[in-house]
Amino acid sequence: MSSKDYILNNIRRNTRQVFDKPQMDLNAIRFDDQLAQFIEISKAVGGDAVVLKEGEDINQVIRSLYPDAKEIASTVEGITLTTLNPDEVNSPKELEAVDLAIIEGSFGVCENGCIWLPQQIKHKALYFVTQYLVIVLDRSKLVNNMHEGYKLISPSEKGFGVYISGPSKTADIEQALVVGAHGPKGLTVILK
Amino acid sequence: MSSTKHAQNADVFQQNKEKATWHDNALWFVREKRDRISKTLPEWEELRALGEKIKLHSVSHLASYLEQFAANAEANGVIVHWAKDAEEHNAIATEILQKHNAKKVVKSKSMLTEECDLNHYLEAKGIEIIESDLGERILQLNGTAPSHIVLPAIHMKREEVGELFSEKLNTEKGNSDPTYLTRAARVSLRNDFLTADAAMTGVNFGIAATGEIVICTNEGNADMGTSLAKLHIASMGLEKLIPDYESLSVLTRLLARSATGQPTTTYTSHFRKPVEGGEFHIILVDNGRSDILSNEEHIKSLNCIRCGACMNTCPVYRRSGGYSYTYFIPGPIGINLGMLKDPVKHSENLSACSLCYSCNNVCPVKIDLADQIYKWRQDLDSLGKANSSKKLISTGMQFLFTHPALFRTSLKFSSLAKYAPRSLTFGLKEWEDGRSLPPFAKESFTEMWKKGKVKKK
Repeated sequence: MSSKDYILNNIRRNTRQVFDKPQMDLNAIRFDDQLAQFIEISKAVGGDAVVLKEGEDINQVIRSLYPDAKEIASTVEGITLTTLNPDEVNSPKELEAVDLAIIEGSFGVCENGCIWLPQQIKHKALYFVTQYLVIVLDRSKLVNNMHEGYKLISPSEKGFGVYISGPSKTADIEQALVVGAHGPKGLTVILK
Repeated sequence: MSSTKHAQNADVFQQNKEKATWHDNALWFVREKRDRISKTLPEWEELRALGEKIKLHSVSHLASYLEQFAANAEANGVIVHWAKDAEEHNAIATEILQKHNAKKVVKSKSMLTEECDLNHYLEAKGIEIIESDLGERILQLNGTAPSHIVLPAIHMKREEVGELFSEKLNTEKGNSDPTYLTRAARVSLRNDFLTADAAMTGVNFGIAATGEIVICTNEGNADMGTSLAKLHIASMGLEKLIPDYESLSVLTRLLARSATGQPTTTYTSHFRKPVEGGEFHIILVDNGRSDILSNEEHIKSLNCIRCGACMNTCPVYRRSGGYSYTYFIPGPIGINLGMLKDPVKHSENLSACSLCYSCNNVCPVKIDLADQIYKWRQDLDSLGKANSSKKLISTGMQFLFTHPALFRTSLKFSSLAKYAPRSLTFGLKEWEDGRSLPPFAKESFTEMWKKGKVKKK
């Protein structure tokens, strides 16, 4: 007997009581001012969120936030700061020297600052290997909670998607929070 | 000498009072963070109730969900393996790695691979394995095991990490600043991520409806590893399986809030297909899980989403540390999982519980942790593991309580007990440790009642 059959048989033989799937009619948290909540929670998770004002140039805003960034990778339309097209490198390892990556988020979740990113670029490594990350997000695309969020997700062609909330962090040494564990040392969400 | 291995180890832990107090306070701080964030959600208790129901449903439909999961994963181009036990899991992982001629593997945090003792197995086969979670990496460099499932190095002070890093990673001697040390590990591990031949991860949730796995980290180490290497092997315990996104939305809301008091982990990553030109393997591991299904008193142990909240709240865990337990998972959930794994080997952990029930009340999926510990204790005698002095006391009490005249006489003289030396009082030196005798009243209630001293309302 294969291990698969052995395991499945054992499960079937040992299953006693059967529980129905619960109704998920939860009255989950909602926010009156979603934009204010999203900005507040983005800061609370160690990142930042700024609203792009009418007439402001997104490239200038990003440059003023990250004046020292040299290698800038992006495929987002309208971003002219780009020094590297991340889709043109052969190996994800070539993205290691990226100082700043600018990517586009699909929607944001107000309860926890999560932004859904279905993989749209060639190498997902860019999201994690960059020293700093900027996520551009349409401010009309905010949902209250994860229940609403998961209803919006459909499989991306590339087979990877990630919710990101704030920069990479750790508290593994004495519970002292350190921002920038392996991934980005900073994250700014630009709400356009 | 204390009566159980846990109590003996706890004595050792308590010898460094300052460090033990720090440990207690640090974990209590995490528990308080959990309380604060849970109170920001009016629906928190409903969410826990749903979490429990989702897990009970999933576990009781495990065979069909596993088949659905495997079929969907295979349709996504994932290679699915089934492992009956730890040995088979390790053999499968080794075979995949050897086929790819992988000599160096980066691994993200996985309690399952700890359970299987994978690292030693791979090292014996000449494969280098690098732990990439900072806490796990510290312990790997130190040659020790995690003492907590979410905060693996919580028992270590920054000075100890500083000393370790100066020896292993060439950091400045005497510098124990957490940011400085974390940055040093970042540089060192980046090099490992870039030079590894394969990445191994655990799994937080497997989704039957889509055949994908979900991994939650704050550091991004699982993502660094899996996006830079072509080969990804994920080890998944059978009980990680849930039906769909709707269920996932409930459990992701519970996990980080319960674990560390954060609204979410930084990364909630969904892996559905291999990277371009790469391979993605999922090893489904039983290792005793399918046997637990038949154990109705303890089946809820399979609800566990490994958040560690029961450890943070446990007054015994906080004051005794993870190494005091004989099973590799400590605290309330570890006591129960250890008993399910090998009751004779791990029964002494059962003493590490005051039945305060705090764990039941924080568990995000409502595992009846304390009830289960209580039930295990009832089985101790049949395991031949009942504590002999406690048995003596029980037998004595039973005799006393069923002989009223003798009971009254002994009660009469009980107030004299305080004048007797402690070890004479009971003749049970080991049971006495850590217990103090209550002051006995001069008169018993019965005597007072007879003398009319008890006022009736």
